Amino acid sequence: MLDATARFFEDLDRRGYEPLLARTSGTIRFDLNEGPRTTHWLLTVDRGRLRSSQEDREADVVVGTSPALFEGLVTGREHGIAALLRGDMTMTGNARLVVQVERILPGPPESHGPRQRPRRGVR
Amino acid sequence: MASDNTIRILDGNTFVVSEDTGDIEATPSEPTGLFSLDTRFLSRWVLTVNGERLNALSYDDLQYYEARFFLVPGLATHYIDAKLSIVRERAVGGSFREQLTILNHDENPVDLEIRMDAGSDFADLFQVKDEIVNKKGELYAEAEADRLRLGYRRGNFRRETVITTSGPARYDRNGFAFTVHLEPNSRWSTDIEVRTYALGPGGRDLRMGLRVHGGERLALQHDLREWIAAAPKVNSECEHLARTYQRCLVDLAALRFSPLSLGGTLPAAGLPWFMTMFGRDSILTCLQVLPFAPGLSRTTLRILAALQGTRFDDFREEDPGRILHEMRYGETAAFEEQPHSPYYGSVDATPLFVVLLDEYERWSGDAALVRELEQECRAALRWIDEYADLVGDGYVWYERRNTDTGLENQCWKDSWDSISYRDGRLPGFPRATCEVQGYAYDARVRAARMAREFWDDPAFADRLERDAARLKERFNRDWWVPDGEFYALALDADGRQADVLSSNIGHLLWSGIVDHDRAEKIAHHLVGPRLFSGWGVRTLAEGEVRYNPIGYHNGTIWPFDNSFIAWGLRRYGFAEEAATIADGILDAARYFEGRLPEAFGGYPRELTKFPVEYPTACSPQAWSTGTPMLLLRTMLGLEPHEGHLSVEPRLPVGMGRIEVLDIPGRWGRVDAFARGRLELDKLA
Repeated sequence: MLDATARFFEDLDRRGYEPLLARTSGTIRFDLNEGPRTTHWLLTVDRGRLRSSQEDREADVVVGTSPALFEGLVTGREHGIAALLRGDMTMTGNARLVVQVERILPGPPESHGPRQRPRRGVR
Repeated sequence: MASDNTIRILDGNTFVVSEDTGDIEATPSEPTGLFSLDTRFLSRWVLTVNGERLNALSYDDLQYYEARFFLVPGLATHYIDAKLSIVRERAVGGSFREQLTILNHDENPVDLEIRMDAGSDFADLFQVKDEIVNKKGELYAEAEADRLRLGYRRGNFRRETVITTSGPARYDRNGFAFTVHLEPNSRWSTDIEVRTYALGPGGRDLRMGLRVHGGERLALQHDLREWIAAAPKVNSECEHLARTYQRCLVDLAALRFSPLSLGGTLPAAGLPWFMTMFGRDSILTCLQVLPFAPGLSRTTLRILAALQGTRFDDFREEDPGRILHEMRYGETAAFEEQPHSPYYGSVDATPLFVVLLDEYERWSGDAALVRELEQECRAALRWIDEYADLVGDGYVWYERRNTDTGLENQCWKDSWDSISYRDGRLPGFPRATCEVQGYAYDARVRAARMAREFWDDPAFADRLERDAARLKERFNRDWWVPDGEFYALALDADGRQADVLSSNIGHLLWSGIVDHDRAEKIAHHLVGPRLFSGWGVRTLAEGEVRYNPIGYHNGTIWPFDNSFIAWGLRRYGFAEEAATIADGILDAARYFEGRLPEAFGGYPRELTKFPVEYPTACSPQAWSTGTPMLLLRTMLGLEPHEGHLSVEPRLPVGMGRIEVLDIPGRWGRVDAFARGRLELDKLA
């Protein structure tokens, strides 16, 4: 069930660089809580360079969610800021980092962007 | 809607709207209450003494964050021989605090039962605005020995109001009370504190770690003093002008808003409905106040850049590169019943973002910020080219993708009937409005300068300039209404003109897209009898089918609109026409004690003699607050020029002498002096 989450972090690790985070540095730990079990993911951003690992280490900000919600976030079915406002996602530490990293999450799979009309042509 | 006798105090997005007694008795449609984070935390706050309601003798709004009410028991007709006075002194800033003082003027002692009814419906501001409070969660109230806790819970979403007092009170679920024995000529006093909480699981507050500007009262006082000290001084023979400037400076301080987690402040749009960040309103306000408060531009640009769109989200109308329209923190945003987390449905914020960055650099010389935001600027320009051109003809169009809760009109005239053909019919979608094409033109011209001077990309600059020149040429062909000799308000998807005469043509002058040989025609329309009322330029010209002097975007006069029109006129050399508009709007400000409303009626000046406020207008509103400042800039002809500030005043005679001291910029601080010499009557 958590394949999408693992894939998300592995993909970030492989990608290695995210231009949207070119001015961002810091560490975020994601604590995915389900009953007594907590899965940890650590994302390190160094001026856009990305590294992810499954470590339970101190971080600049700690984000807490359920594994199911996080799966929704990394597949675009859930929205990070709305989840924060709702209290379904919590953060402790540098909130700015969370708002910045939230921007690299995908949009909803059914969203296709602007409906462009057949070209009328530049007259 | 707020009636005229409501008292408002605010700090950031926390504000209190009450009756003139200080009481709050909210109904679904009455926006009184204590609000924070777009949520009402108190909807009932009623003071009684021995079971009797109190009556207002007077009130003072001391500062934007504090007010004082003088009350007596009994009805208005009875209070003359009142033996008791009650003073309520309140402030917001971090929390809401009220000091209650009761004075006994009688020669006999009195026994008093003092009670405050307290309650909250935890309505989302959107529910208040739309008059629907339909809570899906559970309300609770817990009276403890030393506090009253009011709360609302829906899943993990929890909001709480906690009330404590300095003196011992008896708390129950509907309020708290004091039993007081007062000797002759003595007084009793207590401090009440109301704290608001946005709680997540584990009781952590959403705002934890967030630095709200100000905080406690002393900090607020200090902050306001520093804010005023940092701004230029305006001295004027014309007394009301200096007063208006002072009012605006303080209101602008009050409207500063610190978004969660991003740091810095930007101007929120307006009280009571719009105490949050809006891309368009925040940017236009920053542009207006650049000569007076340049620091706001820097933080606004940074915050909007940090929230620039990165993906397609049809519910929020987000696209890569798009600048947000509106951010909200309430329940309806949290549960995605409204799209404001944030919502991106604005077609002009994105080009205006580029415009502001360039204008800010021209004043401040802050090249570092231009370099810092290069990527965001390029993304914004890409959005204009790729995602906003819905028809493929090089113009910027809009058509909402969120058909439930998205905005139909994504330009500044965002009411449903604001865009029409001359016969009054409304065009289909997509639509393209004229002023946005002007902004997109200006964005390219300004980005070309930044690309050449700061991004070391002359090829990009050349391309932007070519695109801008082509756009200008086509625009002047496709949008010109030959029989009226003005630019159409909008085009429909088939290229048909919404061929009404509107104030939007003034923004075209500001952006520079108007062909020089047509500018005079446009200037004449703007100060002509169909558009100009004597106070200002109407949103829609008299004589159009949909014209209505109190139609929100179909005939009212918007001060902010006029300030950009005046700037545009000045840009094309129509200094007298600009001064005419500036004079009318600044005159109107006198009737509002220097605080211009969002909009006022388009009635001819000689008919009403005073400007008629639009009934549901927000006040103070950021871009109305910024208006006198931009008008001052325009009349004084303040313009950064090769590292200096050039001053070329063109003032009406009645304004006498004006001095603006310590204008900050890349030149350090300089003064500007001017004397009114223009005889405006001759123009008319």
